[in-house]
Amino acid sequence: MLEAQLVLVLVGSALLCLGAFAAIVSAIGFHRFKNFYLRLHAATVGTIWGSVYPLIGAALIAITISELGAYRWFVPGAIIVAAIIVLMLAPAGSHALARGVHRARVARVKPCLADKLDPELCG
Amino acid sequence: MRLVEVIVLISTVLAVALLITVGFEHLVPSERVRPVAEFYLNATYNQYELRNYTAMSPEAVTAIVWDFRGLDTLFETSVFYLALIAGLALTRGLLLERAEKSGHGLSIIVRTVTRITAPMIVAVGASIGLHGHLTPGGGFQGGSVIAVLPMVVIVVFSASFLVIKGVTTTKLLVVRSLGLTGIGLTAIAVFLVGITLHMPAYVFQNMAKPDAQISMPYSVAGALISGTLWFFNIFEMFAVAAGFSIAFIALMLARTLESSRGE
Repeated sequence: MLEAQLVLVLVGSALLCLGAFAAIVSAIGFHRFKNFYLRLHAATVGTIWGSVYPLIGAALIAITISELGAYRWFVPGAIIVAAIIVLMLAPAGSHALARGVHRARVARVKPCLADKLDPELCG
Repeated sequence: MRLVEVIVLISTVLAVALLITVGFEHLVPSERVRPVAEFYLNATYNQYELRNYTAMSPEAVTAIVWDFRGLDTLFETSVFYLALIAGLALTRGLLLERAEKSGHGLSIIVRTVTRITAPMIVAVGASIGLHGHLTPGGGFQGGSVIAVLPMVVIVVFSASFLVIKGVTTTKLLVVRSLGLTGIGLTAIAVFLVGITLHMPAYVFQNMAKPDAQISMPYSVAGALISGTLWFFNIFEMFAVAAGFSIAFIALMLARTLESSRGE
């Protein structure tokens, strides 16, 4: 039982660290990338790697806290539901943003190699 | 320019730090509780010592909002209702035109995700509203969460989608009025029982008072409902959800019709 708890804590902490690293990478990308679509990509890195994985890590750690009694199963349940919802909603939201901006021709694709959807927006 | 920005940034940080240092005693709540707050905290769930003053609800905010000062909340709800009626009166000409053409809406990805998450939004709102007497939240908050659904549907599908599907402002207004009627009936329920039984009772009475010994049941089959609080919360949830939905539909439909006329 103790070894299983140790493994859960280690995996959970690793996921939390991964989330922190991804959040920093996402913030740097959000600040440095050249155009709207690349910055949107960086923001999505922050929502999936930076919040879904840490949520699952927190769920794994919460299972091992024996002081919570039976409630230690409620916490991971709620966390995993939240993670699944974020996993569904974040890509749909960024997809809607990118599609809307591209169709409304608000942001140019720059620098650009090819834009098959709307060649006029390239460059 | 850079130097000015740095100076502004540093002085802002220092000013906030100074404010926090000076206002620390007021920012951090002290351990002393004022006598009024102490009374409410003792009375909110207390069936032994303060049997004649308790609201039988572990959530002190809901107990104060719907029991100790319930009349205030009733008038707040009516003010919101009147504001809604005024908004409907403002857009009445536009709403009578039946919207026939449905727009394209967003892409199939967004529409599918919306279809999946729509029941979840309602479930979260209902949970907040129905547990209002146990946990932070309540009817208004739960209703507001439910009202997010028509907003999302309007943005994702189209402004006239709800009206075409039969969710018209008239039907929502009926729901809203039924909710308000329910709130009113709950407020006078104990009073009516008192009249029938020839016993003294108050309007907005929840639990028994020293000179009025009638009280609502505070639990049903072992589940705590805190007397009138549960009924107030559920009716308020329906009323607020319908009210915000009417406002969203009216505003978005009016805006769409206006822009389509302009073209």
